[in-house]
Amino acid sequence: MKSVRIASILTLAALLASSLAACGAPAAPSESQPPSAPAASEAPAAEAPAEPAAPASGGALVIAMNLNDVVTLDPAYAGETTNLFIHINTYDTLVDIRPDDLSVVVPRLAESWEVNDDFSEFIFHLRKDVKFASGNPLTAEDVVFSWNRLMNVAGAPAFNLDGVGKVEALDEYTVKVTTAPDDSGKPQSLPQFLTSASNPSLGIQDSKLVKEHGGTDAADASTADKAKEWLDQNSAGSGPFILVKWSPKAEIELVANKEYWKGAPYFDKVVIKHVEDPTTQLQMLERGDADMLGALDTDLVEQAKANPDIVVSVDQTLDMNYLAMVYTCPEDIKAKDPEKFAALMSPESHAILCKKPVRQAVAYAIDYDGIINAVLSGYGTRAPSIIPIGITGVDPAKTRGRDLEKAKALLAEAGYGDGVTLDLYYGSNPTREIVAAKLQQDLAEAGITINLKPLEQSVYLSEMRAQKLPMAFGGWTPDYLDVTMWTDYFGLGDRSIAFRMWFQNDEANRLATEIRTTSDPAARKAATEKIQEVFMEEMPFTMLYQLQTVHAFRSDLKGFKFHPVWFVDLFELSK
Amino acid sequence: MKLAQHLTRRILLMIPMAIGITLLLFVVTHIVPVNPLAVILTEKSMDDPEAVRAATEKWGLDKSLPEQYLIYLGNLLKGDLGVSFKTKNPVASDLLTFLPATIELAIGSFIFAILLGLPLGIISAVRSKSPIDHFTRIFSLLGASMPPFWSGLLVLFVFYYKLQWAPGPGRIDSRIGAPQKITGLYLFDALWTGNMEAFWSSLSHIVLPSVILGWFTLALVARITRSSMLETLSQDYIRTARAKGLVERLVIFKHALRNALIPLVTLMGLAFAGLMSGAIMTETIFAWPGIGRYAVEASTNLDYPALTGATLLIAIIYMIVNLFVDMLYGFIDPRIREE
Repeated sequence: MKSVRIASILTLAALLASSLAACGAPAAPSESQPPSAPAASEAPAAEAPAEPAAPASGGALVIAMNLNDVVTLDPAYAGETTNLFIHINTYDTLVDIRPDDLSVVVPRLAESWEVNDDFSEFIFHLRKDVKFASGNPLTAEDVVFSWNRLMNVAGAPAFNLDGVGKVEALDEYTVKVTTAPDDSGKPQSLPQFLTSASNPSLGIQDSKLVKEHGGTDAADASTADKAKEWLDQNSAGSGPFILVKWSPKAEIELVANKEYWKGAPYFDKVVIKHVEDPTTQLQMLERGDADMLGALDTDLVEQAKANPDIVVSVDQTLDMNYLAMVYTCPEDIKAKDPEKFAALMSPESHAILCKKPVRQAVAYAIDYDGIINAVLSGYGTRAPSIIPIGITGVDPAKTRGRDLEKAKALLAEAGYGDGVTLDLYYGSNPTREIVAAKLQQDLAEAGITINLKPLEQSVYLSEMRAQKLPMAFGGWTPDYLDVTMWTDYFGLGDRSIAFRMWFQNDEANRLATEIRTTSDPAARKAATEKIQEVFMEEMPFTMLYQLQTVHAFRSDLKGFKFHPVWFVDLFELSK
Repeated sequence: MKLAQHLTRRILLMIPMAIGITLLLFVVTHIVPVNPLAVILTEKSMDDPEAVRAATEKWGLDKSLPEQYLIYLGNLLKGDLGVSFKTKNPVASDLLTFLPATIELAIGSFIFAILLGLPLGIISAVRSKSPIDHFTRIFSLLGASMPPFWSGLLVLFVFYYKLQWAPGPGRIDSRIGAPQKITGLYLFDALWTGNMEAFWSSLSHIVLPSVILGWFTLALVARITRSSMLETLSQDYIRTARAKGLVERLVIFKHALRNALIPLVTLMGLAFAGLMSGAIMTETIFAWPGIGRYAVEASTNLDYPALTGATLLIAIIYMIVNLFVDMLYGFIDPRIREE
């Protein structure tokens, strides 16, 4: 969904142990090299335990990062990448997912929970000893308020609760969530709900405090709620830190919640400073004006590594870029919907790409390693289909690379031995322009001429959403760590990318539906494996690359553990 | 009396100009064939017809364009600039958040440009073709031709990273923190509250961005001053002044400079308005949270209300500065006052 989002911090640290054991001896930076093969996973150095026991207070921690995406800090409105980082450090969620093992949901505010067989009822038992930073006790009513407010304000993160029908307090410390009925009237199955509940947007707010500042969870909250202005500048959570100030495009200031239920954080204060230029960010780190960067530009990795005071860590994200090709032919579209047929932007390309061998030929003609090396300086990898490495059921060994001869043969088989011309659409940005030019060059070697059609990002999205594009190049960043994040949106013909590219395939539909509705992990894994085969055979999408991000911090900073969704838990950091 | 009349007329004229600007902006932004809902909603909720319908209604996008424009104008008369699609805040409060940083930087760079540019221009004219004239020429040329995204990075590298003479980007040291907010101008607020630590920190932080942003203006000021002074110095009345034995200092500052100032005042007015309308590159490099970035982001996000609000503000700044410049002419040259 957030194909609009640029660089994100989502990483699969656990699976590819490539992420740091960065703590430890300051003099010996423990850094991982970018894996050259997709499966590369270096053994991390012995894991140094974080030192939450350190009683001394650590003064201020300064983080330099790009905060351009932050437009609000109210969890009911905020839907950007940086927000996840701020929210998880100021609010607590009911459940947690630790970077060590992303497939396991562990307790946080909820001590335990029960889920019924068809994933339609979830009962959470809350800890009884948690207080908000304000001193108010955290109870089931606060959970009901927070989640109802999120749903009724209907802001960007409300989708995390899509499919949820009712949130109720059974007693002071028990919350029950029932899913909304589907079309047939029975409660729908929400297998991904537990993972969604770990999303920082679903952090629990102090209902008393939010109401004091004009907040409401009523059905008309989208117009009646007035707490946003206050929540932009303050947090109302039980988390380890408290938001005290936000100056847009300048900085975000947090102070420690000394009464945090897991213990007081090491740092008294955290200042997250907005610095846009990557070179300047590194200069600040080198001079000690910053302790940590949000991300290190891959061009600067060598410079950072040369400095003994800096630790560099390479982490695998779940962000990927894909090339999508239309699946349904124009005459079938005409039969279904003459208006949509008339609106197609490049009907000629459409008619060519709807032939399976052409799509396969395109996929075989792309020099994926070349893209990763040239454009990402090697900081990227690739999965067999559209589902990224790190998700259960994805086997990196099945990834197919470039095969020019096969591409030419497939093209000849489709009757285009003399070559074809296709229009490629994308939302323009500097990286995409380079990748697009590389694609154009690669495909030309197979006899495929590409006309580049860059569009302004929002125009691109509108046109794609209107199902007008034959071939599109875009990005995908997950919002939760369940496989349905990919199988739903790329497999179900009426959803998102599959819908936009006319990918209506019965087998993919069936498998994606099975994954959605099955609770048995083995069955889900088997279906995930099968749907990848369908993707690779039908080739409606080919993954171009899956990004890795590089992080850098001062070597005296301890406890840095990269989190795939929210960057880092500040509570675990110390000096 | 005449002056007051003139002033009133000029101020009243600003109203139709402002309305014209909003109309122009409204037409231009709505010609672009895109759907503003793409900004208001998330990508996922765009697939949900109910969410699309609700948002269309909430943001008044279901009304016809002329209707939307009239509603906007009506709100504008009440001082309401609308709500930003992206930040979901009132545009006026967004603008107020970013304006102080811009004002502070504009004043800083203006002072730099005038304090250095004017003397350099005068000396170059008086000692034309001397080494200092050549130096000024080269210095101005560099300022006018080096893009700030490059010169900015360069000065940061040299003075912050290598020499460690200057602080890094931002308005103030993060470990000190902003002074208590009164106006939002850090230097003023710090002085007012007696927070000298914050004052010195923000003063040291404003030097590099002011130099980079002001350099271009300095180049203009120095060159125009020089040519304007050269022309004036060749006038008959200057020769007369010298012939009657007037001290050179008086000749230059009282007789020549005053007359050479006219084109300079026009230039300075426009330059100041230009500085006030934000400097995207400088703001980006120095992490300066000013209005330029806000306006640019509003336009890339198709955030109509924010874009119109920011442009209107910039237009009004230009109009006010121009008015002020016209008044200044009168003080400098009595002949203009009489007309």
